This record gives sequence, structure tokens and C-alpha cells, in this order.
Amino acid sequence: MQKQVKCPSCTHVFSVSGNSGDIKKINCPQCNTFGKVSFSTKRSITPAIEVRQLRKEYGSLTAVNNISFTVKKGEVFAFLGPNGAGKTTTVEMIESIRKPSNGNISIFGKNVTDSFDQIKEKIGILPQEFHSFERLTIRETLEYFASLFEKQADIDEIIAAMHLSDDEDKLYKQLSGGLKQRVGVAISLVNDPDIVFLDEPTTGLDPKARREVWDVIARLRNKGKTVFLTTHYMEEAEYLADHIAIIHKGSIIAEGTLDELINKHGKGSILKFTKCDVNLVKNALESFGYHVKKANNHDVLVSIQYKDQILEVLSLLRKNAINYDNIDIHRPNLEELFLQLTGARLQEESA
Amino acid sequence: MNFRFIIADVKANFKQWIRSKGTVFWTLLFPILLILIFGSIFSGSGDTSYSLIIQNMDDTVHSSMFLDQLENISMIKIEEIDRSENISLYMQEHGYASGLRIPSDFGESIQQSPMNSSLSSLLTFYVDPSQQTTTSIVQTIVSSTLQEYNLALSGGRHVVSLQQEEIIANDFSFIDYFVPGMIGFTIMTSCIYGSIERNTKFRKDGILRKMQTMPVSQMDWILAKMLFMLFLSFLSTSVILLFGLVVWGLQIHITIFSILIIIATSLLFSGMGMIIGRFVKEEETADMAGGAITFPMMFLSGTFFPFEQMPSYLQVIAQGLPLYYVNEALRNTMIYADMDKTIYFTAFVLLFAVVFFIVGVMVTKWKED
Repeated sequence: MQKQVKCPSCTHVFSVSGNSGDIKKINCPQCNTFGKVSFSTKRSITPAIEVRQLRKEYGSLTAVNNISFTVKKGEVFAFLGPNGAGKTTTVEMIESIRKPSNGNISIFGKNVTDSFDQIKEKIGILPQEFHSFERLTIRETLEYFASLFEKQADIDEIIAAMHLSDDEDKLYKQLSGGLKQRVGVAISLVNDPDIVFLDEPTTGLDPKARREVWDVIARLRNKGKTVFLTTHYMEEAEYLADHIAIIHKGSIIAEGTLDELINKHGKGSILKFTKCDVNLVKNALESFGYHVKKANNHDVLVSIQYKDQILEVLSLLRKNAINYDNIDIHRPNLEELFLQLTGARLQEESA
Repeated sequence: MNFRFIIADVKANFKQWIRSKGTVFWTLLFPILLILIFGSIFSGSGDTSYSLIIQNMDDTVHSSMFLDQLENISMIKIEEIDRSENISLYMQEHGYASGLRIPSDFGESIQQSPMNSSLSSLLTFYVDPSQQTTTSIVQTIVSSTLQEYNLALSGGRHVVSLQQEEIIANDFSFIDYFVPGMIGFTIMTSCIYGSIERNTKFRKDGILRKMQTMPVSQMDWILAKMLFMLFLSFLSTSVILLFGLVVWGLQIHITIFSILIIIATSLLFSGMGMIIGRFVKEEETADMAGGAITFPMMFLSGTFFPFEQMPSYLQVIAQGLPLYYVNEALRNTMIYADMDKTIYFTAFVLLFAVVFFIVGVMVTKWKED
């Protein structure tokens, strides 16, 4: 594949060729400036899912309130929010399980309401709190669900990829929670789908089992699948998602990559200087507009809005000959972001 | 129609069924146990009412005197029927086990017996062979009364004697009556509870939500489940019949009507289960609702004992219950070989099957609101 590159120094435009997944080191043919170009397969501007002005009402209750978002092909899209925020209602409208009160949903450009029968062959779904047939083995379960599709993935490959080989002859009811969820994900792959919908795939699992499911989802992304993940675990979204939409009380309150969300909605980062005199730091920084706070007898916290301010703070401290033992940079996480946006903690709301 | 799915689903259902010891027990072993228990109990016990139907064709005082003598016996409850009735049919229709026909020459034979010692009058004792204990007690009482009567008349000579006639041509026993009821009951419970499981547990487990996102229609799903339920119905029927044949020497006719009734019964009760599963969404509550419907129906529809033994108000209720028609249709085709009644009761079973199955399919919804 070929890619057009514009040199940041001399603005010369030239083409570079490479294979998908390559990261190539290049030099500008005009000014010899060094740089890197990556060739990615999974990022694409063609939307896998497009949702516009989606609304769902139950009598006087508005469960989903005119939400719009786009999921790109090949990305892990996390739909993050507390229980009752409208995540499952939204995903079930996309999956054509529930009828929207209003709005449009399209998958690969096809309207879900009109063309869901064609779309079914291209998607795989793990519903919330899904339990399969108790008295079928893992292999029998996968073969059963595969038999419903025209296009069938290789069951042996799925079993191997999901690390289910050791348990493939066990009945579903004999499996642990983590294994059951892995089987659930495996079922959603029996037709080799382009999009996989995973609704709360790790709810109720212990940390080890949760990590196993995360590994499975990460492998799906590496295989170029589009993953639509609903979750109320912020660390799950942080770990897995390329793009995050935060939903609260039926509305999307923030959307973007993790960096975008934190840069846009987070109140900057905190620099923590250990074994340091708070009065000296206050004198050196407050006149430049920095907010300085004493953490304990020896530590000082400085709030910054932008990454560039780290260097400025450090040079101001050096200029004033202020000594410190160590620096910690604390970046806000999604939990804090949710707190800032809604005034409530994500985990508390989910509990 | 997605035949690949239907075949896969029937296979998967069979595997799950055979691996569920509880389900296999309730479908196959439980009916066998009931046949054993009830067969043993009812083969050795009798009807406590000892009703006796009398058809008196004689106009003389002699028959009246004989009847008075019978009426004085407290163990026997006498009911006289009109001369125009067919006594065998009357007994069948009204569930009487014993009947006595006094011939028109009864009085004349007695009057002339002192002059003509060769004259004798023959009374006919009709019995329902499926209730042997009851009938043998009544027959013993009638015979001894007759003996006393003869003794008083002629000093022991048999002026009047008794011959026995069975109201059904074959030699049926209680178990022959009981087995068709067990077949109806077993199909009812497996179909109702099977449908309830599909509509409540599968909804709770997300399987129904999953199914509607897959390339399979709701009709294919229902059809596949029905095929499996039919398979189970025929399997349990075969096992019950085989067991009855080997252990109790069952005498049963297998007709095209038996097959039709089994198919219609499976559809009927699967439809009923779908309706319960639709409106009672909690798994445990749905099981209780299933029990609340199947248990009274089992007792009121003549599964274990004749419908006619129930009080008249319960008989009215029973006539509104589908299982009553299933039991009667199966008995009439399998035991009595009564074509008219078979057609009559089968028509009701078919009607119930069409109504319940169509309503069941209509109310079954995969899609959430």
C-alpha cells in the first residue's frame, strides 16, 4: 500500500510504500528530515456503525435521548456508563432486538430496520448475562450456533484462539464464569463476523477471569475485527478501547479517544514533588498562575493544564534553586472524568 | 425454512435431554412408576359404591319381589333403567360396572315351575371387565340372593339362573383403562414444561435475544422445538405401551387415530406452555403456573380413575378441560375401539390443538418492547 506524506519541515509531499502494520523510518527526499510513517489496516474512515438521533422511550421515561455516534471499522468502541444509563437499550436497538422510538442506525451503510437479515450474517453478538445451553459441550455449542450461518468459521481455530482446547468436551454448566464468558465470545465468532457486539462481557467476573476476557478482546482487535463493547468498568474501557463514548442518563456526555477525553474534559494533570518546601514552590509558581497545594509535611502538588507546562514548572523550580527528591505525574482517569462530568462516581452509580 | 438449523436444533435438544437425568425420569420413568403403583393398587381394590343397574323386562309380581330382596341388601345400590335402553351401552356411557337384566319370562317360569320342572328363566349379569373386583363382589351378592330365591321357590332347583355377559368384547383390565390416561398425562407435562423452559429460562439466559440476532426465524425455532416434542411424545408413548405390554399384558389397539391424537396433544400442550411462558416471565413462577394447570387437570380429567366417579359438578368442570378429551379420545381408539366416540373426542382434541397452538405461536415474542 502507498501513503502520501507531507514533510513537517519543508512541506514537501511525497509517497511512501509499505505493508499493513509496518512502521517505516523515512527521510524527506528534499530536506532530509527524519520521521516515521505507520501503515495500519484496522483504522479506516469507513464507518462500521452509524447511529443518528437515536431515541427510546418507555411511556414517560426516556431511556435513550437522541444520541449519535460513529464506530469506525477495526476499532474497539467502548460504550461506557453506569447501570441504567441506556447502554444495553442502545446496543439492543443496534442489534434490532428493540425497536427505536426514533432515529437511524446503519451497519456498513445499510439501514438496520430494512436490512437486518443481510446484516445478521456479518455480526456476532454476546448478549448481556448470556448463558448457553447447559448440557452441550463447548464444541457442540459452537457447532450448533455455527449451523445457523451460511458462512462458518473454522471451529477448531476458534477453540484454539479462545484457548478453549483443554475444556472443549466439558458441558457448559461445568465451566467457570470466566470460561463461560470466553465461550460466549467464541459463539459470537462462529460466522467470522466483521463486527462483534459484547454487552458487559466481564460483569460478575473475578479479576483473573476479567483479564482473560480482555485478552480475548485484544486478540479480536489484532485480527482487525470491529468490537462494540458496552461496559461500566472504566479500566476496561481504558485498557481496550480505541474510542470511548460515555453515556449517562440516556445521553452521551463525552466522546473521543482516551487522550482526547482527558485533554478535553479532564482538569489537567497533577505534578507531585516529594521532600520539597511548599512556601518556596508557592513563591516560585503562583505568580505564573499555577495552583500549588501542600499534600503533607514534605510533598507539594502542582496543577497543570497542558503537557508543555511540565517543562516550564521544572525550569522555574531550577531557576529558583528549589530542591526536591522525586516527581510523580498523575493523569486523571475515566473515573475522575466521570466524576467531573456528572458529579457522581461511575462505580457507585453502577453498584 | 432453515432445515440445517432444524436438524441441528433437534439433535442438540436430544443431546441435552438425554443428559438431563431429571427430564428423562419425568418423561419415561415417572409414568412407568405410576403405572406400576396404580396398576397394583387398582387391580386389587374395588368400587365402594357397588351400583347395580337393573333392566326389568318382566311385568309380574315375582320380579318385583326379587328386586325388593336385592334392594334390602345394604351393600348394593340399585338403579332401574327403561326397557328401551341398551343395557351394555347404558353401562358404558354412565360408567356402571355391573348390570342385571331380568327377562320377560321370569314371572311365567316361576308360576309354571311347579307344573313343569324343566322350565327355567335365565337372568343376564353384565360386567365391565376393567373393574373386576367390583363386579365379582356384586355378582357374588346377586348369585347368593338368587340361590335363596330358588330355595324358597323350589327347594333348591334352579328355576332362575344367572349367565354372565361382558359389556366390552375383550377382556380389559384396569391397566388398559389407565395406560391411555398416562400417555395423555405424560405428553401434557413434558410439552407444557418444555415450552415453559424455552420461554422463560431461555429468555432469562439471553438465548432468545441471541436467536433473534441470528439468521433463523421464530417459526423455524418453534418448528424445530415441536419436532423434538413430537419425538419425545412418541418415545414416551412407546415406552409406556411397551412396559404395559410386558408387565401387565396390555391389550391395546394402535390406530391412525392414536397417532393423530398424540400429534394433536403435543401441539395442544406446547401451545398452552407457550402461553404460560409468555405471560408468566419468571422461571420459578412459570413452573408453579404450569403445576397449577397440570395437576388439577390431571385429577379432574379421568387420568387415574373414571370420570363418572366424580361428583356431577366436577364432571361439568372436567368437560371444559382439554386433557379430558385427550384421555377419552385415546381410550376410545385404543381400548373400546369405538369409532363414533373416537371421532367425536378426537375432533375436540384437534380443535383445542389448533386454538392453543395458534394462540401460543402468536403470543410468543422474541422481540423486546
